[in-house]
Amino acid sequence: MLPFLSRRAMLRQTACGFGLMGLSGLMAASSGESREPHFTPRAKRVIFLFMHGGPSHMDTFDPKPLLTRDHGKPLPFKRPLTFAEGQTGSLFKSPWEFKQHGQSWLPISELFPWVAKRADDLCVVRSMVGDSVAHGGAVLQLHTGSNTFTRPAMGAWFVYGLGTENRNLPSYITIKPGLSHGGAKNWSSGFLPAQFQGTAIGHGGVSIDELKQPIEHLRNTGLTPVQQRYELDMIQKQNRAHRERFQSDPELDARIQAFELAFRMQAEAPESFDLGRESDATRKLYGMDEAATRDFGWQCLMARRLAERGVRFIQINHEYGPGNEVGWDAHSELIRLHTKTARMVDRPIYGLLTDLKSRGMLDDTLVCWSGEFGRTPISQAGDGRDHNPYGYSMWMAGGGVKAGFAYGATDDYGYYAVENRMHIHDLHATMLHLCGMDHKRLTYFHGGRHHRLTDVAGEVATKVLA
Amino acid sequence: MRLRGLSVFWLVLSAWGVPPPEGRQIWSFRPLMKTEPGKTIDSLLASGSAAAAAKLTLMRRAYFDLTGLPPTESEARAFLADRAPDAYARLIERLLASPRYGEHWGRHWLDVARYAESTGADEDHRYPHAWRYRDYVIDAFNRDLPYDQFIREQIAGDLLPAEDGASVNTRGIVATGFLALGPKLIAEQDKVKMFYDIVDEQIDVTGKAFLGLTIACARCHDHKFDPILTTDYYALASIFASTKQLAKLEGTVSELYVSPLVDKPAAEAWLGYKKKVADKQKEIDEVVGRESARYRETVAPRLADYMMAAWEKRSNAAGLDPAVLEKWVKYLEPGQDRRPQLEAFQNATDKAAAARQYQMQFLAAMEARKDKSRKFQAGDDRFYSDVAGGPFGLPKEKRGDEAAKLEAELKKLKDAQPADPPLACGVAEGEQVEQRVFVRGNPESKGEAVSKRFPIVLAGRDQAPITTGSGRRELAEWVASPRNPLTARVMVNRIWQWHFGEGIVKTSSNFGVLGARPTHPELLDFLAAKFIESGWSVKAMHRLIMSSTAYRQHRGNGRRLQVEEMRDALLTIDGSLDPAMGGTTQSGVGTDKEFSDDRKTQDPDRSTRRLVYLPLRRSNLPSLLNLFDFGDATTSCEGRPSSNVAPQALFMMNGPFVEARARGLVARLTGSDAERVEQAHWRVLSRPASASELRDGLNYVAHFPGARELAWTSFARSLMASNEFLYVH
Repeated sequence: MLPFLSRRAMLRQTACGFGLMGLSGLMAASSGESREPHFTPRAKRVIFLFMHGGPSHMDTFDPKPLLTRDHGKPLPFKRPLTFAEGQTGSLFKSPWEFKQHGQSWLPISELFPWVAKRADDLCVVRSMVGDSVAHGGAVLQLHTGSNTFTRPAMGAWFVYGLGTENRNLPSYITIKPGLSHGGAKNWSSGFLPAQFQGTAIGHGGVSIDELKQPIEHLRNTGLTPVQQRYELDMIQKQNRAHRERFQSDPELDARIQAFELAFRMQAEAPESFDLGRESDATRKLYGMDEAATRDFGWQCLMARRLAERGVRFIQINHEYGPGNEVGWDAHSELIRLHTKTARMVDRPIYGLLTDLKSRGMLDDTLVCWSGEFGRTPISQAGDGRDHNPYGYSMWMAGGGVKAGFAYGATDDYGYYAVENRMHIHDLHATMLHLCGMDHKRLTYFHGGRHHRLTDVAGEVATKVLA
Repeated sequence: MRLRGLSVFWLVLSAWGVPPPEGRQIWSFRPLMKTEPGKTIDSLLASGSAAAAAKLTLMRRAYFDLTGLPPTESEARAFLADRAPDAYARLIERLLASPRYGEHWGRHWLDVARYAESTGADEDHRYPHAWRYRDYVIDAFNRDLPYDQFIREQIAGDLLPAEDGASVNTRGIVATGFLALGPKLIAEQDKVKMFYDIVDEQIDVTGKAFLGLTIACARCHDHKFDPILTTDYYALASIFASTKQLAKLEGTVSELYVSPLVDKPAAEAWLGYKKKVADKQKEIDEVVGRESARYRETVAPRLADYMMAAWEKRSNAAGLDPAVLEKWVKYLEPGQDRRPQLEAFQNATDKAAAARQYQMQFLAAMEARKDKSRKFQAGDDRFYSDVAGGPFGLPKEKRGDEAAKLEAELKKLKDAQPADPPLACGVAEGEQVEQRVFVRGNPESKGEAVSKRFPIVLAGRDQAPITTGSGRRELAEWVASPRNPLTARVMVNRIWQWHFGEGIVKTSSNFGVLGARPTHPELLDFLAAKFIESGWSVKAMHRLIMSSTAYRQHRGNGRRLQVEEMRDALLTIDGSLDPAMGGTTQSGVGTDKEFSDDRKTQDPDRSTRRLVYLPLRRSNLPSLLNLFDFGDATTSCEGRPSSNVAPQALFMMNGPFVEARARGLVARLTGSDAERVEQAHWRVLSRPASASELRDGLNYVAHFPGARELAWTSFARSLMASNEFLYVH
């Protein structure tokens, strides 16, 4: 149990979720400071690139020459449960070439020509494992550790552990998250206090052009600042008079503070979200000059701005949606869909890594890239691939991970993780470790027991630590 | 469920042999204590004598506590003027009789019942009929349905006879929504796990809601703290597993069950008609399939001609159908996306030769697909499936007479189709399972057989066997029995908590070892006994509690309004609250497209109905609810926290909803400026303005740095944003 819950939060723990929206870092003064970590952290913050739908690992970061050799043959071993039982076919080689990149010679397929330029920054984990073959459970498990329900999101655990660096901004922000496959459950604080919930900016499937305000109610449309201050003075005068009558309630004091905080915040926060302040060269670096990469570039650049301003956990989502179709979820037409989706994210991710590095921020920012699972080495519906949680790839960069490194392995075809298996719990444990937290000690008492992000499992993959 | 984490402590204890559950009684399992005659809430509380609350403060408290709404200006003024000694008692009766009462207390129960209208996971499939359960709950509180009956109906209402002797107990069926509307992962592919997750969720909510027990903790191992055994868990699981949960378990996405609210013959007739329509559609599909194949045979030999004509953009090619050619032109137009199936053609230097090659392949694929013993999929030959379903798809006018005839028949059938009967989100009796313990929760690893029964620690070892049906009826009777020591205690504690903000047992859904002890055990048992004596009347409990001195005294600590109270009160203040009751405002069934914006639950800013009537989609609750601690509507919620974050202040200061209410209030103020200030205080704070407040109000408007109309709106909002409005004392 960490010592940093406010007294009030301790008193108010109850059995239901606390709500999902809000500038969560902005609690009353007591919870504003940064916390003491369990041990020296390598990363101060996390940027998590979530590839909703499940990118294929055999086609991106896990080359499988034997799959190419045996293309068209039946899978020579027992097939596990797939999502679309009855549509499975034979071994299906990758349509894309792999080349080795950088000084590390890390193999990356031609789907990611830009990210490949940053090969020497990447730590590719090729042995990821999850427990769910359907999106619903898999997305929840990646985000909360549990593939069923009602656990706090990993971002909530991180800011619960790390605290906030900037009280004028939420400490956990998710940019354009999707509303399916758990929706808001994936950035909720669950049974953790509401201050740790994620704040969503826009959501998946809605273009950045339609985003009126990054955060609700941040702007008053009817009053000038002078008028609003005048009104706020009246509110506070009433509040002070009210408090005089009920002197015993500290909650009333806290609420008076909250109004002042809100007033300051609405003046200061909009600057953080204003990408207009970035140079053309920077915007171009993120691919914002091209239609295909503009939205995701915007998300990545926004993430960097927020990271600079002390936001602790930032998630960037590539979602299903108009123009994105089914994103990475290529049950059919793998070539068309993966070509299109990879193109949307490749250059912006390169821009993000390059920009973080040039600003000296990559050292203490842990960047993660992952889907909820990978895809099958056998075909589905002839020209697609099905879900595969039994072995897939993700990568990390910066934040104390070994750079230019590949960890773990799947079998000859890429179906099962066979070497240095990294379960989602292990990934969470490792990410927490990099941020200076022991996943076994980051606990919260709820519903009769101490809970962890990693439930009762999870081991830190020490070999990926730099 | 992962099990690696059994604590060493527990393993050691298990090895030694845990004492049988009967030997591990805890306070809440003991029979109710008898209270000495003459005791009252106040004597049992021994709370001393604090000053009584001011009359208007008490009035506002009673209004919000019972109805979740403030009084209107005239109600407040009338109560202040009423000097009769029984004015307060009459007020309580009036509020208990108001339909607004059930809306507010029903909402409390809906928290416990984790009420929502979608599955929450996967594509967040709707429960289109769940609202009937919500209306049932509101009605149950309004009519003061005895709580024991309320329990019976929610667990086994479909098995109880209708009150009015009707052939179908519609109310009872609707009440089982309690079991049916939980979160579900219906796209889970491990169907056994999925089914037992549903069962587990029902055990969890039933245990917490009625008994204050976390029984679901015993799924994988004996409960670590409470004397609940894994065999107890699976004995209950057997009951819910023998209950119909889904219309169809198999398939990528399992089908949700809906209960028709008509008698069996009518339900069967309805299903029969639906099948007739489906069969007719199948017939049509077959004919169209045949005609499509025939048509394809006629055009396929000219595929290369079409391709070349389209490529060269010739619109008048000899012998080619211009409409088909147009489709080919469209198909071959280069787009943003890679289309590997067309690359050989696009890259060919000799287009004509390539087109001939494509034609040969198409003809071969067409031939191969005549082999019905083989299964083909769209991507086996993407070019073939693109063309067969696109440029060479059967044009509507060529569907033939047979299809036209069948379509006319289908239309006739559909025109004459009777409307769907009323439907409910409920459960029914299912196939009886032979339940075994799943070792460590794993359905693959079967342990000893268990028969249906209730936990030994509470019901003993000598239980009457359940031989027919799911056993829900017996379960309902056992839970709703006055001899069950938990049931009455748990409910009176909830009622107490919803009046005072905190229960006598602070953990109102956990009366087990890890739960809190009652601060006043005698008081708890006194209330529980009174509750049973009154015939389980919730309204009688309100009367008892609200007439106590403890309830009526001055309170320093206020409670913040819950989100429904706050929003509905703002609508009351400007007179725009729509008092319509019941029904649904959510349209449609099934799910939305995966990326659809429609998934968003209706925006509470744009409705004037009470919040309890707006649809709740688990995957996307309105941000207002998230902002003000509504919870997640996914697990049984024992109480709402009261967080204090700056965005709540932003909602008040900048939100369009609050601004609209402020404008609406100003529009209703009449008379002189002083009178308007006075009315605004009555409407927002349910009290007159003091002399200094009157002066401040007039000054505010007079010196506002802007237009006068804006000044009034701003003034109204300042009252709405004040703590005095947001708190009840």
